[in-house]
Amino acid sequence: MKRIGIAAGAAALVFFTAFPFAWMALTAFKRPYEIFTTPPTLLPASFTLENVTRLFEQTRFITYLGNSVLVASATVLLTLAVATPAAYGLTRFRWRGRELVAASVLFTYMFAPIMVIIPFYVLMRALELTNTRAGLVLAYSAFCLPFALWLLRSFFQSIPLELEEAALTDGASRARAVIHVVLPLALPGVIATGTFTFILAWNDYILARVLLAADELKTLPVGIADLYNASVVDWGMIMAAGTLVLLPVLAVFVFIQRYLVAGWGSGGIKG
Amino acid sequence: MRAARAGWLLVLPAAALIAALSLYPVGYGIWLSFYNKHAFFPGEQFIGLANYGAVLADEEFWRSLRLGLVYSLSTIVLQLLIGTAAALLLNEAFPARGLVRAVAIFPYVVPTVVAIIIWKWLLNNQFGLVNYALGVSISWFGRDWIMVSLILVSVWQFFPFVLLAVLARLQTIPLDLYEAAKVDGANAWRRFVHITLPQLAGVLFVVVLLRSVWMFTKFDTPWLMIQGGGAEPYIRTLPIYTFQRTFAYYEAGRGSAMAVLMFLLLVVAAALYFRLWRREEQL
Repeated sequence: MKRIGIAAGAAALVFFTAFPFAWMALTAFKRPYEIFTTPPTLLPASFTLENVTRLFEQTRFITYLGNSVLVASATVLLTLAVATPAAYGLTRFRWRGRELVAASVLFTYMFAPIMVIIPFYVLMRALELTNTRAGLVLAYSAFCLPFALWLLRSFFQSIPLELEEAALTDGASRARAVIHVVLPLALPGVIATGTFTFILAWNDYILARVLLAADELKTLPVGIADLYNASVVDWGMIMAAGTLVLLPVLAVFVFIQRYLVAGWGSGGIKG
Repeated sequence: MRAARAGWLLVLPAAALIAALSLYPVGYGIWLSFYNKHAFFPGEQFIGLANYGAVLADEEFWRSLRLGLVYSLSTIVLQLLIGTAAALLLNEAFPARGLVRAVAIFPYVVPTVVAIIIWKWLLNNQFGLVNYALGVSISWFGRDWIMVSLILVSVWQFFPFVLLAVLARLQTIPLDLYEAAKVDGANAWRRFVHITLPQLAGVLFVVVLLRSVWMFTKFDTPWLMIQGGGAEPYIRTLPIYTFQRTFAYYEAGRGSAMAVLMFLLLVVAAALYFRLWRREEQL
């Protein structure tokens, strides 16, 4: 009895979360006339890549894709380059103000973009960083840093100090101890943090919408939203675009899934 | 002493970036709220509390505040119920549990724009699968239903956050608590009420706080819901109205005043929340 209940509950949950994605993907591979038939067909009667071809040929999807990859990757690199040493500094050295810094990091973690977007926009405009990908990377890094720091800090805290101390008493320099002892142990944490950062930058809509105006600079979320906003909605093409955008997210997700629980514990996810 | 300096130096770049691009804009936003400032053109003029006066006298502000409260309260309650129920379910042992967990979490990590186009298609009033399956012809993005649709999409997108948090906590509840209760003859419901719920209280406290802050300030989900033909005035929540004041009316000063008010409301709500919570703990 209990097992039937669990099975039914799990089935309902999977249907609720997965079916909408399946419906998008199925629509993406149907011919345009089939998309609008009544009654609707579940599986494509004839599988087609027509929608994908149209997406590539008639829109700037490839450009948006390139921008998204560039911006998200640069954000990950910058965030990790800044957050990793900082997390190390926060966990390995005692200094005055350390708790204050940690607390303000946690405080900024709660910020939502809408609360800072106006002054942020005015500021970026004054610095002539609007309408540049560099400005967007800076914005994302600033936005991702608090949770990246928080997450990395918890990973560094879980690495026993004794290991480094042993290396140091053996005569290794601090740099060598970090490179050969700490970093290999922290690597899973660094990679997990990098993937969370990637997802945030890849998914963002509001900062890209506000900071970029030129069509050739747009990232995928903004590009797709504008495709959808066109006067005549090409559902097959939109669904193809949505499906393609999800592929990297899906790939990354399969990897970070096992870190998600740990990530929650230390505030690695937000939104 | 050297150690202290090294620690500082390592943290400095991160601290500088956060200070320059998160903390400074907050301060600058408060400053802007006292000025008459165009969103694009340089130059501003000090007008004291005039922005706040204008906002508080603006009927649309109060309406957007009401809509925002309806939106955030209803989505928070539904996310909590569905997320907690799903976590309890996924904490049981059954085949392919790992896969089901992953599938259930997935909506949380997809771009909002994808969540929106999926549901815009499912809920399309002419060709949508939902209308077909229900045998109705509801206009889901019209004035009567758009808030319902927005709540549905938001709950779908964000309940996995609650699921993750609660599931993580459930896994740390010592099993012998349940064993002891079983020996004492407590049934499943009593075990849930007397063991599981008290153990979850801490995590639920944090989840409610975070979700409240993030749902009350949620911009992209309602904003994208409006695009491509949605009954905009019926889901014009406070973040939407703030954005429009700034980037459609170009009133950066007044928009900033609204953002500051949003922030203050959250601070007051959080303070009340902490007080209520403490009182309950003393009982």
